[in-house]
Amino acid sequence: MSLVPQVLRSLKNLPPFPMVAQRTLVLLNKPEVSIQELVEVVKFDPAITANILRISNSAYFGLRREIHSLHQALLLLGTQELLKIIIASGATRLFSAPTPGYFAERQGLWRHSVSCALMVDVLSRELSLPDQATGFTAGLMHDIGKIVLSLFVEQKFHEIMEVVEQQGVSFQAAEKIILGVDHAEMGGEMARIWDFPDRLRLAITYHHLDKPEAYTDDLILLVYLADILCLMFGQDLGSDGLAYTGYPEVLRHFHLRERNLQRILLQFGSAWDEAQILFGLMGQQDGVQRANRG
Amino acid sequence: MQLVVGVAEMRVSNQHEHVVITHALGSCIGVAIYDPLVKVGGLLHYMLPDSSLDVEKGRENPCMFADTGIPRLFRECYSLGALKHRMLVKVAGGSQVLGGPEHFNIGRRNYAALRKIFLKNNVLIGREDVGGSKARTMYLEIATGKVWVKVIGQNQTIIEL
Repeated sequence: MSLVPQVLRSLKNLPPFPMVAQRTLVLLNKPEVSIQELVEVVKFDPAITANILRISNSAYFGLRREIHSLHQALLLLGTQELLKIIIASGATRLFSAPTPGYFAERQGLWRHSVSCALMVDVLSRELSLPDQATGFTAGLMHDIGKIVLSLFVEQKFHEIMEVVEQQGVSFQAAEKIILGVDHAEMGGEMARIWDFPDRLRLAITYHHLDKPEAYTDDLILLVYLADILCLMFGQDLGSDGLAYTGYPEVLRHFHLRERNLQRILLQFGSAWDEAQILFGLMGQQDGVQRANRG
Repeated sequence: MQLVVGVAEMRVSNQHEHVVITHALGSCIGVAIYDPLVKVGGLLHYMLPDSSLDVEKGRENPCMFADTGIPRLFRECYSLGALKHRMLVKVAGGSQVLGGPEHFNIGRRNYAALRKIFLKNNVLIGREDVGGSKARTMYLEIATGKVWVKVIGQNQTIIEL
């Protein structure tokens, strides 16, 4: 029996997308963003301003001088970096519920999402693509469908896994077979309800490249590849493991050989260490401990 | 007490109360070695096959690569009194995403690098759980030398290696 009606019904209770992040998403499309616009966005949320200063002064940026104000942060880091921080800070609430269908650890999905966002940045640098907040954001949001689908995946996990193992298909394809809807479609639907910019919505919907439309935008290919590389890196893997399809044509498209992938993983290892403060945005206490551990 | 081994790290111990653990092996490989006579063991979690990729990084952190990390793991155990001919060796990880074996195959290369090093040095792998598309967590109990692998998933199936 298809669970689709049930799944779709659960979307009716979808909470609103966090306001600060919502308003920041709109700024992603603008070629120029003024300090005034950024201040307007964050001024109602003192926690976010505090986060911006904390992150600006962390190893993530490794600046030599201390940043005391939003204005200074903008000057030293630039608009794109600041947009990333604001979106990451603003989106934490979205990821605060556990997703036991996919992750045993409460913060698993958040950690995987941050990793993927960082990986998009590392990849963009390696490929000499402009390092834009849009890529980071798409990496951060690519799996939002799991937030809602977790409940259903949890109920049907064994059946989904059986399909993965017996038919050799990806976890996403197995979700579609068993539940009638997969986490990427689900994420796309959520992005529609939340009125995300189109590029971002499509990157979420097609991030496993299961439809021809996926190949229309490099952003989608970038998010796909970042996700796959995060699975290979291994930290914060979920119950779906590495059961996703590797498409060699994407490597060819970006002129990447295996040795490039190895180098990217190496760079990601360092980026991952330095970005512990971003992981820590979810539950500050935990974040401090993790940052110290590294 | 748990000693956690992160990516590109190792821990070596002769303390009976220690369980050495490494979380979430994807294409990385976990190598556990143990000398049952002196009860000394160690666990390495390396990420890539060969330090020629970045010699500098390999020197900075040998645990990043198979060719620099594996010898280091053995040496650290020797320094606690372990001997090579008594070592029990168990291996886990090296997973792959789905699709042909020609691409995205760092997991396989990681495993191949380990086999090559072991062959050259006459080291036999006792038990292993490698490949597939599973995410694994690996444990080594110093008191007994027992090694477990937990497949990350809803059952949290645990197998003894």
